[in-house]
Amino acid sequence: MKETGIGEFEEVILLLVGILDQNAYAFRISEEFESQTGRSISIGAVHSALERLSGKGFLTSEMGKPSAGRGGRRKRIYSITASGRRALTASRDFRISLWSQFPDFSVDQLSFVFN
Amino acid sequence: MKEQKTIPPRSAEKILNRIIRPDLVEEVLGDLEEKFYATLAKRSPFRARLNYWYQVLNYLRPFAIRKRSKSYSNFTPMLSHNLTVTFRNFKKFKTQFLINLAGLSTGLACVLLIFLWVSDEKQIDKFHKNDDQLYQVMSNHTDASGIFTWRGVPGLLLEEIQSTVPEVKKAVATTDAHEYTLSVDESYIKANGKFASTDFFDVFSYPLAQGDPESALSDKSGIVISESLALRFFKTTDAIGRNMDWHFWGQRKTVQVTGILKNVPKNSSEQFDFIMSWNYYHDDLIEYKQWGNYYARIMVVLNSNSEMEIADARIDAIFKENLQGENVTLFLTSYSDRYLFSKYENGMQAGGRIEYVRLFSIIAIFILFIACINFINLSTARASHRTKEIGIKKSLGASRKSLVGQYFTESILLSIISLFVAFILVWLLLPPFNYIAQKELSLVPDPRLVYASLGLILAVGILAGSYPALYLSGFDPIEILKGKFSRKTGEVWARKILVVLQFTLSIILTVAVVVVYHQMEFVKNKNLGYDRDNLIYFEREGKLIENSEAFVNELKTKPGIEDAAVSGFMVGGVNSTGGVDWEGKTPEDQVQFWEIRSGYGSIDLLGIELVQGRLFSKEFGSDSANVIFNETAIAAMGMEDPIGKTIRHYQGNRKIIGVVKDFNLISLHTRVEPMIFLFNPEETHFIMARLKPGDEGTTISEIESLYESFNPGYVFKPQFLDQDYQALYASEERVASLSKYFAGFAILISCLGLFGLAAYTTEKRIKEIGIRKVLGSGTWQVVYLLSSDFTKMVLIAIVLALPTGYYIGNMWLENFAYRIDLEWWFFAGAGILALVIAWITVSMQTLKAARVNPSDCLRDE
Repeated sequence: MKETGIGEFEEVILLLVGILDQNAYAFRISEEFESQTGRSISIGAVHSALERLSGKGFLTSEMGKPSAGRGGRRKRIYSITASGRRALTASRDFRISLWSQFPDFSVDQLSFVFN
Repeated sequence: MKEQKTIPPRSAEKILNRIIRPDLVEEVLGDLEEKFYATLAKRSPFRARLNYWYQVLNYLRPFAIRKRSKSYSNFTPMLSHNLTVTFRNFKKFKTQFLINLAGLSTGLACVLLIFLWVSDEKQIDKFHKNDDQLYQVMSNHTDASGIFTWRGVPGLLLEEIQSTVPEVKKAVATTDAHEYTLSVDESYIKANGKFASTDFFDVFSYPLAQGDPESALSDKSGIVISESLALRFFKTTDAIGRNMDWHFWGQRKTVQVTGILKNVPKNSSEQFDFIMSWNYYHDDLIEYKQWGNYYARIMVVLNSNSEMEIADARIDAIFKENLQGENVTLFLTSYSDRYLFSKYENGMQAGGRIEYVRLFSIIAIFILFIACINFINLSTARASHRTKEIGIKKSLGASRKSLVGQYFTESILLSIISLFVAFILVWLLLPPFNYIAQKELSLVPDPRLVYASLGLILAVGILAGSYPALYLSGFDPIEILKGKFSRKTGEVWARKILVVLQFTLSIILTVAVVVVYHQMEFVKNKNLGYDRDNLIYFEREGKLIENSEAFVNELKTKPGIEDAAVSGFMVGGVNSTGGVDWEGKTPEDQVQFWEIRSGYGSIDLLGIELVQGRLFSKEFGSDSANVIFNETAIAAMGMEDPIGKTIRHYQGNRKIIGVVKDFNLISLHTRVEPMIFLFNPEETHFIMARLKPGDEGTTISEIESLYESFNPGYVFKPQFLDQDYQALYASEERVASLSKYFAGFAILISCLGLFGLAAYTTEKRIKEIGIRKVLGSGTWQVVYLLSSDFTKMVLIAIVLALPTGYYIGNMWLENFAYRIDLEWWFFAGAGILALVIAWITVSMQTLKAARVNPSDCLRDE
């Protein structure tokens, strides 16, 4: 992988943060992750990834408003920084450039043997 | 009815609250709660709770977990800082440091010595590889006076056990070690030996240097000798197949060396130089091979310890089947216990040497404690010197924990240095200690010693360091730095209590020493009912068996000899029997009699007083059908007018011709027991003579030359009866002298502490003393002022210690049937001694302070 500083899982989380926008906090991200990928994941794992991405400067966060469903506690809303966006684009472009070099299925490169 | 609302598990919340970073708590708990209700909407409450727990566990990730306090990060610099400060303090307060060092290192040296001794005692007999499953068969004999316990069991039991008790893997019969004469050609040597059956080397781990351990003892004429004995006889350890002669009493047997034994290790409770075949002993030497004859010692190795009770019951059943109507029970006891737990009372295990092991362990703890108190007292007393340091450190942000750490560093460093000095002390003290304790201890670095040293360092470091550490670190920095620091009364009290405790322990030890000393003096000088002074005896062997009468007559003509006779008397007793019947004896009247074989003049020679009738004498014709009892025996048989009555001894009917006054044959630990004197000069094992006081040396060498002319070749080995008697109390004697030293050390260490405290107090009050002197106070008034505090403490200690000492002294004395009364002046003496020593210690300081020139101490520049 080209040096973008993010792994596949992190990339997904980063994308989900972008998708959820104002609702991007750990619980919702994990729910979204589960529904989008069909893989189950613990909130802790998501939280840990969010923390890591914040550390790399791809995310910022701030505390939101308290809400009743959370026992009156506030949530931490994440949003993507400019460098986060750049990392996402770089990663996407890299993949596309790789795909563009990927050969189409061409018959002459396959050999069939008939007895 | 209101339906209860399902809520997230509170315990999980609590755990999370404690574990994760405080700044994350709010959002995380919020998320989890939302998750919980989301799950609850879809699934059962149980599932929701379970999922909550799962989520909590998933938060145990490095990023989320609360960081521990950061002190670990600068552990090394803090440690080196602490060490520097500690060394500076040692340098600055040299007296305090030296007193602490001296006290702790003497204390630790005592503890190490005791540790070496105790662990050596505990190792005895543990070297056999079968140790865990090795048991000895013992017998409990019940008679009118209670139950007494023997190691002796019938020899016939061995084969029965081997063939009918499946729980027993191996069994061996032996005798106790005894001194016999061995000879090769014309060289005779007396050596300790025993008889043992074939499996001996299977049961016990005494390694053979040469020979086959399986068969070395199976042949009747085989003998296994130790390497040192082989060297003495043959000048080589390669002696298999060589012949030698074994002599005992009238017996002489030519035996062939079948094995060479490595010298018996020092930690074996039995020491011997040769072993001969049990088959020979049992077949040829034992006349009365009956179930009622307890001549064997039998040891068994069990398949497993869990079968001990079954084996025990089976062995007893075998015995009861073969011998009915006797009040005897056999039981098993661990072989290696017999050294430390040798005493039985009423058939029950009742201590033994283990009591001394415990006693010394307690003394060790006492001494260690006393030494630690010194450290505690001196460091809290000197606290004011360090208040500024503490104040500044605290205001710069030192946590209490790091200060505690500093003081522990100080105490542990001190204990390491002390231990080092203690090892040097132990190394110096070991030779005399070994001499007193009759041991061969050495400072070899074995793992137990290393663990013990580490344990000691920690114990002393923590015990001594804890109070100062907690106390000093608790100061309020503002008060200290403002100079408003004042001592709480609690602290002074604590110090006083500790000093009182120190002296209490020391005085208890002193009282104990005084009691033990007086009892031992009493034992040494007790009139036993016979005169043991200047009596020597030696074995009848070889020609002396037939010619003893001529020899004794020759002896009597020597000018240095008062009297002589053949004798079967031996301190501690030899034989005891229950085989005596008398008229009117009921089945309950089981009486054990100590048998003493005698010839003409044997009893007269001992100086035993006659009460009724007469002693054995040539004037009345043959005495071989006559016996003499002691008073206790007559009382036990309940006879009114014993003289002339007939009793039935297992060797035939005997007529009572005399009664002698009670005398103490066994030891002062027990009351006088019934005794019977049999007239049997042919089988008396010794010749005994009373020397005239004065020139005993010459007389003995005269006897020796007479002995050589009668009995060439044999070893003349005279023994003093008095020494045998002293040997009975050797262990008490040893304990007495050891505890004397330890008590001395305890007092010394206590005084060191007192000295330090006195030095400190006088220093603190030097201005006060100056002013008092200016105002006209005299030297002695000042001395009184300064010592009265200490005097009070020692007085309280005396009051506390004396009852305890009385109680302990009484408990020890109960081991003796004949004992001293505890006199008031034992206690007064110990108390006054402590007080005087304390005064002397304190006065060194107070006198100096009292003589001080006021102008010197009041001048303040």
